[in-house]
Amino acid sequence: MQTSSVPLTVDDIVRLRRKKQTVQFGFYFILFILVLWSIQATVIDDTDWERIGSLADIGKSVSHFIGIDFALIPNLLGPTIETFMIACIGTILGLIICLPAMWFGALNVTPYKPITYPLARIAMTLSRSIHEIVWALIFVSAVGLGAFAGILAIAVRSLGFIAKMSAEAIENIDPKPVEAIRAMGGSNLQVMLYGIMPQVLPVILGIVIFEWEINIRRSAILGLVGAGGLGLVFFRQMNTFNYPGVTTVILAIFGLIVVGEITSHYSRKALN
Amino acid sequence: MAILEVSELRSRYSSRGPEILKGISFEVEEDDFFAIIGPSGAGKSTLIRCINRLIEPTSGSINLHGIDVLSLNATELRKMRRHIGMIFQEFNLIDRMSVMDNVLSGRLGYVGAIRSIFRTFNNHDIQRALELLERVGLQDHVDKRADQLSGGQRQRVGIARALMQEPNLLLLDEPTSALDPKISREVMQLIRTIATELKVPVLCNIHDVQLAKEFCNKIIGLQDGIKMFDGPTPSLDQSSLDEIYSMEVL
Repeated sequence: MQTSSVPLTVDDIVRLRRKKQTVQFGFYFILFILVLWSIQATVIDDTDWERIGSLADIGKSVSHFIGIDFALIPNLLGPTIETFMIACIGTILGLIICLPAMWFGALNVTPYKPITYPLARIAMTLSRSIHEIVWALIFVSAVGLGAFAGILAIAVRSLGFIAKMSAEAIENIDPKPVEAIRAMGGSNLQVMLYGIMPQVLPVILGIVIFEWEINIRRSAILGLVGAGGLGLVFFRQMNTFNYPGVTTVILAIFGLIVVGEITSHYSRKALN
Repeated sequence: MAILEVSELRSRYSSRGPEILKGISFEVEEDDFFAIIGPSGAGKSTLIRCINRLIEPTSGSINLHGIDVLSLNATELRKMRRHIGMIFQEFNLIDRMSVMDNVLSGRLGYVGAIRSIFRTFNNHDIQRALELLERVGLQDHVDKRADQLSGGQRQRVGIARALMQEPNLLLLDEPTSALDPKISREVMQLIRTIATELKVPVLCNIHDVQLAKEFCNKIIGLQDGIKMFDGPTPSLDQSSLDEIYSMEVL
């Protein structure tokens, strides 16, 4: 074995490069085998090929969805408004339940660190780790079918994101105004209202508007599990094999989301 | 008669950390404009924050208007703090609020919870805030947001806010460090004029010795948490300055 102080020869370099290339080749080969195996296990074995039939059959199935069911349009207005309202009320309710969570979850203002901080962080993680459909299922079984279950699901699902981002905003404030209000004899409430809120309010509003936009998407599908709105119409059209009706609902959802995105874009711009 | 008596004040940030103040004693009289000078890291900011207990000293005593400051509970401390105006190096204004709201916030110590939520201050307070803003020369900027002002203007808002508290002691923490030399003089001049007018004693951290000599009648010099000099301004000569700043010369 040569010591490292001896300069490498051409042969050494060629040998090292070949070794590296062999390792690389081995890595990609194993990766390729793994991908093949996943396709075999999940797609080839697990698909009902007889049901799919030929390529033409696939085209035929998809073509069912082409077209718009104009008769359905008058019946969509109510559910569209309902979906929109579920998103709005759910976000507002979410913001209200977020207030204690962001207060407890920000290290610099949390009232009693060993208890309140972990409590808030667990609530935030729980909210995000459970899918909105699952939250909706839980609330449908708790308060019954309809928009109220959807609102609760949206509110609880919003907590994770709004509270986490807002708590981080509170942790990143400039401490100087806080010091000034302490120095003039301000109470903890006044420190919160005058030292912290003016700094974080625009940030929190931006986060809430962003979450509201996402909540429009979420509330559009909650009806699949009976929590009201456009999802419920979608579910009925699918069950009655009215494929143009399904397309119509999808277009309504698309329109609503575009409206939400535009509103969100301009209102967040206006904040700055 | 001494308004503020500080004796044997010691402070450290953590139980094992270094001692920042190593037994400081001094007295501020009724008509004093009192300067604390010394190199960076000497403990000037810590000392001034111990007076209103933004930093808790580890031992010693502070007596303000006959009240033992270190024995106060949280409520009593808040009551006492509302009579101590503080002016900061970086102004410490609430940037997103108007100049008027910033000045009015000086009354927060006197305002209850409900009224502070809705930012309702009584007409008398608003009248007084207007007068103070005129006094510091900002009558044309009442409705501007605080972050739209220049440095010198921002410090004037800070002065008006401190005066809004109707203070019986003013603490100044490097009030001119963020300002240019000309504005610095104007700001110091303004503070001295108003302090004399309202008969408020001033305790001022300042690293600019020239400014201290110009505006203050008494000076203490700190070095590494120890008082190296204490006396009326004329008695501060080159040798005592050399002693205070000896660490820096090295």
